[in-house]
Amino acid sequence: MSSDSDIPRQDELARERLIDLAAEFYDQFAAGEVPSMQIPTRTKSNIEYDEEQGVWVYGDRHSTRSANTVGGAQKLLKAIYVIDFLQNQLQENRSSTLRELYYLSESWDLDAAQFNSQDESNGLIEDLEIVSHVKREDFHMRPEESGAKVMGPLLIREQTNRGERQIHCQDDVGQGGYQIPNNVDTIEFLDHDADFVMAVETGGMRDRLVENGFDEEYNTIVVHLGGQPARATRRLTKRLHDELDLPVTVFTDGDPWSYRIFGSISYGSIKSAHLSEYLATPEARFIGIQPSDIVEYDLPTDPLSDSDVNALQSELEDPRFQTDYWREQIELQLDIDKKAEQQALASRGLDFVTDTYLPERLEDMGIL
Amino acid sequence: MTSYQSELGGGGNVAEELAKGQRAISIAEFFEKNKHMLGFDSGARGLVTAVKEAVDNALDATEEAGLLPDIYVEIAEAGDYYRLVIEDNGPGITKEQIPKVFGKLLYGSRFHAREQSRGQQGIGISAAVLYSQLTSGKPAKITSKTQGEEQAQYFELIIDTDSNEPEISVEDTTTWERPHGTRIELEMEANMRARQQLHDYVKHTAVVNPHARIEFREPSEHLKYERATDQMPAETTEIRPHPHGVELGTLIKMLGATDSYSVSGFLQSEFTRVGQKTADSVVDNFRDRHYGREMAWSPPASHEDADIEAAITDAVNGKGQEATSAFAGAVADAVATRDRLAHHELRAVVEKAADDAEVDSGVTFGDTVRENAVDAAWREIVVGREADCFRLVDEATTSRKDDAAVEALARRVATGFTGNDDARDRITHETLSNYVERAAERTKERDDVSFGETARENVVESFWAVARTVPDDAPSVKETEGDRDTASELLEAMRETDILAPPTDCLAPITDELVEAGLRKEYDADFFAAATRDAEVHGGDPFIVEAGIAYGGDLPAEGQVDVLRFANRVPLVYQRGACASTDVVKRINWRNYGLDQPGGSGMPNGPAVLMIHVASTNVPFTSESKDAIANVPNIEDEIELALREAAREMKRYLNKRRSMEKRQRKQNVIADILPRMADKLSEVTERDQLNVGDSLARIMNNVLVEREVEDGHVKLVVRNFSDTNADPDITDIVGVDPGQPEDAQVIEMDGEWFVKWSPTVAAGETAVLEYDVSDDATFDVSVEGIEDAKLTVNA
Repeated sequence: MSSDSDIPRQDELARERLIDLAAEFYDQFAAGEVPSMQIPTRTKSNIEYDEEQGVWVYGDRHSTRSANTVGGAQKLLKAIYVIDFLQNQLQENRSSTLRELYYLSESWDLDAAQFNSQDESNGLIEDLEIVSHVKREDFHMRPEESGAKVMGPLLIREQTNRGERQIHCQDDVGQGGYQIPNNVDTIEFLDHDADFVMAVETGGMRDRLVENGFDEEYNTIVVHLGGQPARATRRLTKRLHDELDLPVTVFTDGDPWSYRIFGSISYGSIKSAHLSEYLATPEARFIGIQPSDIVEYDLPTDPLSDSDVNALQSELEDPRFQTDYWREQIELQLDIDKKAEQQALASRGLDFVTDTYLPERLEDMGIL
Repeated sequence: MTSYQSELGGGGNVAEELAKGQRAISIAEFFEKNKHMLGFDSGARGLVTAVKEAVDNALDATEEAGLLPDIYVEIAEAGDYYRLVIEDNGPGITKEQIPKVFGKLLYGSRFHAREQSRGQQGIGISAAVLYSQLTSGKPAKITSKTQGEEQAQYFELIIDTDSNEPEISVEDTTTWERPHGTRIELEMEANMRARQQLHDYVKHTAVVNPHARIEFREPSEHLKYERATDQMPAETTEIRPHPHGVELGTLIKMLGATDSYSVSGFLQSEFTRVGQKTADSVVDNFRDRHYGREMAWSPPASHEDADIEAAITDAVNGKGQEATSAFAGAVADAVATRDRLAHHELRAVVEKAADDAEVDSGVTFGDTVRENAVDAAWREIVVGREADCFRLVDEATTSRKDDAAVEALARRVATGFTGNDDARDRITHETLSNYVERAAERTKERDDVSFGETARENVVESFWAVARTVPDDAPSVKETEGDRDTASELLEAMRETDILAPPTDCLAPITDELVEAGLRKEYDADFFAAATRDAEVHGGDPFIVEAGIAYGGDLPAEGQVDVLRFANRVPLVYQRGACASTDVVKRINWRNYGLDQPGGSGMPNGPAVLMIHVASTNVPFTSESKDAIANVPNIEDEIELALREAAREMKRYLNKRRSMEKRQRKQNVIADILPRMADKLSEVTERDQLNVGDSLARIMNNVLVEREVEDGHVKLVVRNFSDTNADPDITDIVGVDPGQPEDAQVIEMDGEWFVKWSPTVAAGETAVLEYDVSDDATFDVSVEGIEDAKLTVNA
């Protein structure tokens, strides 16, 4: 999985991989065997820490998709149809979205090959990524939602369908910032003036930082996550860290779901653990809201719901959160039984976050 | 009945007044007023009952004569009435008997016989005659011809309801095409509202009598039920009553009628399953009840206070010292050898010692002397009574009771014996129970130690066990008959004695095979099962329960299952809800057996027919109209076991069917998907077309038969992907002469060669069947012996 910019060559490679996969099934049939493929089990219990890369990747447990059962045979049939579709798409240099793939299956001649839900087609694309070792971006498959937005002292060059564009992410963009493309590997970093990267969970907080001029004052590249971050956002964050050697910080709400957002940036997500080394930024650091901040700044809170408590408890068992820092914070939160949003900081005034909270935290963390 | 005493009303003339209105009523007259009791309560019902009675008679008659029944039933409209005709091919009835059989109620050969038969009371057919004459006023028309006769007898008759005697209006001979048989024609007020019941009755009769051919014609339909087997039901033999099955009145009547003098002889000659040994046991029990037992005590040891020898010596006067001492010594020695001794046993000992002493000494020991000696010795023996009682009570009670309590109880039981008028300590079981009861109550009162129900019973039984049956002769038959209490004691003795179950050759079960054949004949179902239980006994009457199940096929899948009920091969049509068999069906959890049962109890739903047959010398019905089997626990249990036995088979079938269906569905889907996968793969990889047969067979664990042909060399490859041996019969039909292939049979027919192999292919193995043909040949292979769902043919 390189970020080789020799696009046609890369497409040809992806296509070859797909045809090789089809040939494997072909050979199984020819030998009178039952066609099957092996896929790592994609659950929390089957991820392990890769010491070398510092990220979480899939473990040894595999499940076998085989034509032995009706369900297995249908899955394989769909996989083969998708392989055919993808190799055609690559050959014709087209691209499509995951949702388009789902609807496109309706046009296939065989009913049994059609998808029942988009989850099914998304899952199948993930399967193919894993067994072919080709990223879905290289299959020319895009997610429906666009990537998030970036604001900060950064100059890039993007390969678009309409030619190259040079964009400065403060000077050339509006209040909304620069829109990250689906395939981040079409971007080249030309220059920057940044000290660190700050990934922000909510749009409201991002706008607050921009409005208050935080990016300019502290030379920060503010990346808007927009909930659970898309692959492109995570990939960009990683590249900013790796290529520009910038520290990465993450600023979210103070609840269990937000810790998972941090987790997927820092350690890699369970669903895409096969791409962890490509997407995860193990050096990313958590700013807050920390449960201890709730106590320290006496923030307005909501009580934890049952599902919050379950999620926290499940995080205590999640291999990615097995550090002293996280255990301490999660246990504290369970103890105080409270959660707080980023916007809760506004209870101290609109400038509190940019004038007091963030500078204090960043200083504590040794970034400022 | 209300009884008016003559004192009522202050004078005698009331009774006399009443007596004028009192007279005997004839049974026929009684019936006239109580038609419902015999199933003639409505026009619709009357028709069903009449058909039923006539058909039952026809079946009984033909079977008894060893003839395969051929029965014709016709119902036709005749003006305001319905005409019912029933013909059979039975042996016919003699001229003298015809009027009695049809024209007299309660006339028949069956009532006194203990043998399985359809009819029993001799009411049925004559009741139908009576019903027809009462409703239409027309006589019954009867034609009957016995084997070998030229002419048939023809009668027209009615029943005189006053005298219960036939009244013949026409008596003639006629010609009839049947070689032998009986025909009865009745006209009655009726309607066809019970058409369904009629059809059910005839159809069910056909199910349960697969050896019969039945033709049924009614105003709107004409049905024929053909014979399914030539096998007649087993012939039944009549049996004598079983001792466990008689009631007191019957017993007294039998006692009055027997030629035997002794009860033992009576038992052996009048009852089934009673030989000398069983009779002895019954008589022993009878004597125990009639006379009671004599308590046997442990004799005192010599060092104890009692001294039998001295006591006898004292009691015997003037017999000389030598003879006296020899006599006393002999008695004492004999007693000392005994563990326990009852009064009559002591008497025997004394008699023997006295006889011996007379022989040895020449001195005569008269009755008085002997009597005195017995009394003297007995007084010494009962000295140890209290100690003996203690031992018995102690053995019978748990070790948790302390000695003082046991001693107190024992002392009081012993007091019971002391207070008994009978010096011989003769007691009935009841008296003994009273002793113990009283002793236990006093012990509770005085010593505050209670002996529970079980403890008391145990004590009673431990005493009763050591008590001896007395040697007195049992009462004779005459004495027993003369005294109701004595007869009752005999009955109890009979019931208490273990006696072998009655023989079952008096029963003719249909047999599970024919139950199945009967169902198969009348129902177009996918699956049939049947079970015949071993004979059991209820109240002295043996019975056998059979059950059958038909499932699937054309049976309606909606609604409740049909329950076919039969008693002695007769379908039960009415009162389904009151029948023991219905209760049993409802209490079984049919979900366990793969039938739908809303709420987990009650009538199951689904495409099934349940059949229940109870055969017995006496089927207990809830009423005279014989519509519902009574709730006898023994019978219910057997019905349940029979149903469950058949249902287990159904469950196995359904499970297998479901798994085969599932397998077939899977095979259908996979057989559809695999070739499409293969096509797509060839397209994507730009390689040759694939053959997916091997993979498919492997997925389905099937047996795969594939053909390979190369230069006139033909190979049929049989791969067994299953985990069991496969024994297919493979036939290849070849268009040219294949020569003589190895291990194959070749038959030529009309220019085609049938080449047949029967290989055994072990699990996971492959067999290759080869032959050569000279030129282009046509092939057509067929594989038998492997279920379709487990077979993949690619040849």
